Amino acid sequence: MDTPSTSDRRRFLARVVKSIHTVITAAVSVVVGGAILSPVFNRRQENWLTAASLTDIPDSRPLPVTIRAVHADGYKQVVERRTVFLVKTGESDVVALDSTCTHLGCRVSWDADGKVLRCPCHGGVYDTTGAVKAGPPPQPLARLATRVEDGQVQVQL
Amino acid sequence: MRPVHTLVDWLDSRTGIKAGRKRLLDEPLPAGVGWWFVTGSILLMLLSVQLVTGVALTFYYVPSPEFAYDSVRYVMERVTFGRILRGLHFFGASFIVVAAVIHMLRVVALGSYKKPREVTWITGVVLLLIILGFALSGYLLPWDQKAYWATTVTINVARSGPFGEFVAGVLKGGETLGSLTLLRWYAAHVFLLPGALIAFVVAHLYLMRRHGISGALKHVEGPSKPFYPDHALKDTLVGAVVFALLLTAAIVFRPPLDAVADPTDASYVPRPEWYFLSLFQLLKYFPGPLEPLATMVIPGLVVGLLFFLPFIDARPDRRPLKRPLVTGGFGVIGLGIIVLTYLGYQDTPAHADPARWTPLAIAGKELAMDQRCVRCHRPGGAANPILETALRRDQEWLLSHARDPEVIAPGLRQPPSGGLGPAQAYSVVAYMKKVQAGIDPPAVPAEQRQASIVLGTYCATCHMIDGEGAASAPDLSHVGSTRDVKWLREWISSPESVDPFASMPPFGDVLNDQQMGAIVNYLAARK
Repeated sequence: MDTPSTSDRRRFLARVVKSIHTVITAAVSVVVGGAILSPVFNRRQENWLTAASLTDIPDSRPLPVTIRAVHADGYKQVVERRTVFLVKTGESDVVALDSTCTHLGCRVSWDADGKVLRCPCHGGVYDTTGAVKAGPPPQPLARLATRVEDGQVQVQL
Repeated sequence: MRPVHTLVDWLDSRTGIKAGRKRLLDEPLPAGVGWWFVTGSILLMLLSVQLVTGVALTFYYVPSPEFAYDSVRYVMERVTFGRILRGLHFFGASFIVVAAVIHMLRVVALGSYKKPREVTWITGVVLLLIILGFALSGYLLPWDQKAYWATTVTINVARSGPFGEFVAGVLKGGETLGSLTLLRWYAAHVFLLPGALIAFVVAHLYLMRRHGISGALKHVEGPSKPFYPDHALKDTLVGAVVFALLLTAAIVFRPPLDAVADPTDASYVPRPEWYFLSLFQLLKYFPGPLEPLATMVIPGLVVGLLFFLPFIDARPDRRPLKRPLVTGGFGVIGLGIIVLTYLGYQDTPAHADPARWTPLAIAGKELAMDQRCVRCHRPGGAANPILETALRRDQEWLLSHARDPEVIAPGLRQPPSGGLGPAQAYSVVAYMKKVQAGIDPPAVPAEQRQASIVLGTYCATCHMIDGEGAASAPDLSHVGSTRDVKWLREWISSPESVDPFASMPPFGDVLNDQQMGAIVNYLAARK
């Protein structure tokens, strides 16, 4: 039969044991949990790629450019080729429009006669700002961030 | 806390967990059980850490020669706490080997293996072998130079024993050491061995509870005490100190990762981890036909002695001094292992530090900026920038591509006119290997940089230095130990004036004074 003092001692020792176990478990959990949840914390890196020289873009029509971008997929790299339309909107202002139709993902192309971007699949039509002019697309063409450095147009992918 | 208690009570009513916990923790321990009896718990704690960190590592590790190295590097560099995670697992392996040996020595010293605990001891010996199996199979997984070459040695050691070719074939899994080898060592490391470990730990603990612990050598008067919390506190305090040491090691020291495995690199001198160094050293004293003595007979005898120890020393007396044969035998074996490990360390050549940049790698950094490379290897270009180009091809392919870029896709695109020279190609590949290993370029003095570029542009066409370059002319790694500045200058300027039969072309008109000065000073300093 435990006396009150023995019982207190047992309770105190048990608390010390539990506390130390909690600290060790917490330390391992932080390392292991941090590692497993790592992808949630990692932000995608900004990837600015040179698309064309500013002087290469005509004033009257969009310039289609295919950009080869390398994305990190964890421990390996994935190569992505994206075609964008570069549209001059000012002396040194350029808009980059993704060539993917917002309807069902076909590639739009420049219709020189109609001066519009036309989707060959279901007749979606966009103007040079990317706005929908006709057909089923629910949204305008996606715009990619651009910047001009040393006369080179860079697009963020 | 009330809802928690209610939940625990409910669970207890359905499962009996409280009684189970009480049964587990209230093991009666004889009076006089001291600090030496914490060793098993420490080992159990370390094994648990290893299991948990190992599971976390499998979230990222890829068991294929193409991606294993990159995935380990990814863990170290990109994963949150990844370096500490791998550090805990890597250094934990050494901690476990030490803890297992201390635990075994404690059992031997206190004669705890004696009747009725013979089977407990045998399960312990099996656990020691499983732990060594983990250490050995874990080796190969990072697929770096050490992994590849140490495993090559292991497989060749297996070949020297009985049914050697068969055993080596099982270990290799294929014609050569490659993807099938990595996959089966991985399967053993994460499935077979953990399964065996858990089964034998459970058996070991069950037998320990069944027979109780052996207790102090001399009977101590007094009532038995439950394990919890008195002895549990001793276990916990020592466990906390050991864990703190392990965590500190994992935080302070970077777990090593050599350059990526290169089966064509004949210059790499493999050395095992410290816990296998004694076996490695033993091998040196039994050359040729005597080799099986070191690889099979002596280790086999030691393991056999361990297995049969309780039957060899069957008398009930547990005092170490009353068992001179066992105490002396373990002393001799222990001393032998310590001496062999020490000699193994002394005998270990100062192998190339993977973080050190070789002259060709330094040259390659400059040469890779060549327009012939950058034309395609640039952001948004036809190929990845050199800094982002992973080495997926073998060295021969890379050298061919550097010398003739059309190799990559004959006829598909216009290659730049004129490929790199052979020495330049070696240099670019050497540079890419450093980039692949994630090692930052060092700040190099101007003269060393110039000498490196000369080496990487001309000399490496025929000469090797630090294991890189062609091997058709003498190795330049230590040329300064036999040749001085004057001789080198004369020889490089005009070899025929030194030796009429020299086959080396003269470089007196190729190199300017600055380049000549840099290269002769650099080579003369290579002692």
